[in-house]
Amino acid sequence: MKKLLALLIFVLMLTFLAACGSEDTSSNDGNTNDEDTKENSGEDNGEWTPSESIEIVAPAGAGGGWDTTARMSAQVLTEESMIDQDMGVVNKEGAGGAIGWAYMAEQEGSNHNLFVSSSPILLVPLNGQSEYGHEDFTPIANVIADYGAFAVAKDAKWDNLNELFEDMKEDPQSVTIVGTSAPGSMDHIQFVRFAKAAGVDITKIKYVSAPDAGGVTQVLNGSADVFSTGVAEVAEQVRADKLKVLAVTSEERLDGEVLSTFPTAKEQGIDETFVNWRGFFGPKDMDPAAVKYYENKYKELSDSEAFADVRSNYGWNEMYMGSEEYKQFLDEEKENLQSILEELGLLK
Amino acid sequence: MGAIEGILTGFEVAFSWEGILFVLLGVFVGTFIGMLPGLGPISAIAIMIPITYGMDPTLALVMMAGVYYGAVFGGSTSSILLNAPGISGTVASSFDGYPMAQQGKAGKALAIAAISSFAGGTISVVLLMIFAPMLASVAISFGPPAYFALMLLGLTAIASLSEGSTIKALISAVVGFMVATIGIDPQTGTGRFTFGSMNLLDGIDFLVIALGLFAIAEVCYLVMNRHKSSAGSGKEIGSLKLSKEDAKEMSGPVGRQSLLGFILGILPGAGATIASFISYIAEKRIAKKPEEFGKGSVKGLAAPEASNNAATSGAFVPLLSLGIPGSGTTAVMLGAFLVLGLQPGPMLMGDHPEVFWGIIASMYIGNIFLLVLNLPLIPYIARILTIPRPLLISLVLMFSLIGVYAISFSVFDLYLLLAFGVIGFLMRMFAFPAPPFILAFILGGMMEQSLRQSMTISNGSISIMFENNISLVLIILSVLSFAFPIAKSIWSKKKAS
Repeated sequence: MKKLLALLIFVLMLTFLAACGSEDTSSNDGNTNDEDTKENSGEDNGEWTPSESIEIVAPAGAGGGWDTTARMSAQVLTEESMIDQDMGVVNKEGAGGAIGWAYMAEQEGSNHNLFVSSSPILLVPLNGQSEYGHEDFTPIANVIADYGAFAVAKDAKWDNLNELFEDMKEDPQSVTIVGTSAPGSMDHIQFVRFAKAAGVDITKIKYVSAPDAGGVTQVLNGSADVFSTGVAEVAEQVRADKLKVLAVTSEERLDGEVLSTFPTAKEQGIDETFVNWRGFFGPKDMDPAAVKYYENKYKELSDSEAFADVRSNYGWNEMYMGSEEYKQFLDEEKENLQSILEELGLLK
Repeated sequence: MGAIEGILTGFEVAFSWEGILFVLLGVFVGTFIGMLPGLGPISAIAIMIPITYGMDPTLALVMMAGVYYGAVFGGSTSSILLNAPGISGTVASSFDGYPMAQQGKAGKALAIAAISSFAGGTISVVLLMIFAPMLASVAISFGPPAYFALMLLGLTAIASLSEGSTIKALISAVVGFMVATIGIDPQTGTGRFTFGSMNLLDGIDFLVIALGLFAIAEVCYLVMNRHKSSAGSGKEIGSLKLSKEDAKEMSGPVGRQSLLGFILGILPGAGATIASFISYIAEKRIAKKPEEFGKGSVKGLAAPEASNNAATSGAFVPLLSLGIPGSGTTAVMLGAFLVLGLQPGPMLMGDHPEVFWGIIASMYIGNIFLLVLNLPLIPYIARILTIPRPLLISLVLMFSLIGVYAISFSVFDLYLLLAFGVIGFLMRMFAFPAPPFILAFILGGMMEQSLRQSMTISNGSISIMFENNISLVLIILSVLSFAFPIAKSIWSKKKAS
């Protein structure tokens, strides 16, 4: 009897495990045989519709920006019946995205595999940490934009970006910049871009990387001077009167009660912008008809009211680009980043 | 609205029938996920986020918080019974919990863990409720030099974590340090010791090492010694009842380590894992019979269990009052807040007192539920040990593999797990203690980063370590902690001669 009970508990544990696992793997299973179905993917008049469930890879863990973008867009696309097939999100986490991209590179030619990405797909290969870059995939559509912000403690001596950069021109070593990610990645590069535009010697900028939300902490306790991060990360601290934002990286002021008070760098005379775009890609050699299909669906998604709600919930901005425009944008962006990394000696 | 009114609103939310239902649901899922090696609260909460979309935010968050502390509560079960930690915060619980279970006292060990967890959880909620608004400043008072000094203090205890050869303990720790440096270095963005492998760029996950060095190594050991009938046969489960002596022995460590765990939990980045280790070490340092630690000491189990649960509540201080997530799990929680249309931060308490205080108040109920849920189940869960050895060994192996695979769905991690299992087994054969390895690994990464951050900030001047009061005090404590055992042994030698 007692043994039976023990067995029962184990069976329960196993069922539970299986239930947990299926959440992430079931979507995977449906997709292993893309090769078989390739032939029936096109219809005669050049129209293409998906013939099986679609897998969307988030090249990061659950809960992050890529994961939520993938999940929320899949949810809206299926719930609003824009796409009739199932859309399963699979997390391929690791190496700043490189694990997921390597997986996607194996899906060459598939029309039912998509993935979400943002600036790291340009920066990580430039840093020498991924074999694959955006050139190895098919850009489908960009949907979202985030902007960066440079924040300092409330009682800091600088009231605008120019005052900060004046000090940095005199002695770049006197100011510590803190960001969440490593040098050569987004938080660092966005600051460097503006500093360069203002004429600061960017090779001497002092940058500290502080994971686990250490950036806010370090600026609040005075260990570091400037926090280079996303706008959403500092808005609440500004509302609570703990930090002040010297500049945001967008072209124009952002919408929102607090956000609209943040000055752009442009209006302070520094002609530079930085956008953390986020969009969807397919594998290499995706059928142009399929690209067209997804491009239209993401346009529909971007224009929908349901997705507008999602955007406002997460504090994302709308930024749609179709496949062609997207590709061109990425090429230009990469060239720009490459020259900065070269100057910093971080190019690998 | 004043704080008292806020607290009352919180209790109103927590004691409504929906409140109670969602707390129960949260802690139930949490405790279950905690028990399964590898599956942690991060993935559970992330999976819940889309489900809670559109739900009442307070109830959703009350439930997710329940999953979080429920997992830490339940995580000790597999540490104790199988030497396979359920989540990283309960690795230290296996140091004494597993030996105790092997001595035929599994029931008692689980009861001690449950009661210490309950006490740690409850004490810290009281602290959270009274001091949360004030403690916000503590969370941000630690700069890089202070973190470095804190990790240094933790490391001075390496020698005390080992039985026998200090040299072997130090070798073990150095290897742990070395393993901690694998992966992309955040300060330069360069991969270190990755041998060109993409799989190593993120470094090695703590649970892979913990499950390898403990669970897999134990499996190897049991297989090699299968003919020795006595070695870890653990057929007895023993009584759940704690004697008066046990209760007395527990009370000290539980009280002290709840407080310490709570404070460490408040510090972003430190969290339950580091808190449980430091509490274990601290309790061993002040124990009258430190030689009992590692062999099934009541104190050695009660201390990390009280501490990791207290640290979990502590982690809510920076999250709720500053909007700063100090760990992976709280970062996902922050995401959940945003989805539900709330922004945690300094304004939360004023803008949404029902959320702020509701979550805190629900933790009282959650902890009671956890105790009520766990205690009666102990005899049944502990019966896992009565399963025939070959079956049990296969189950541990299977759960460890599933657990590691669930972290990142990477096959490479499975090979790593097996490799660490072999390393752990060899270490055991040659009497190299595993805990210093683990300790150096978890403290080492953070210690190196905070040292390098400090050096960048100070333009390379070491004086930054002594300019800040917190780091100065911690460094003095480290020196004392290091010198004290040496002085003690010299003194006792003198006395003997």
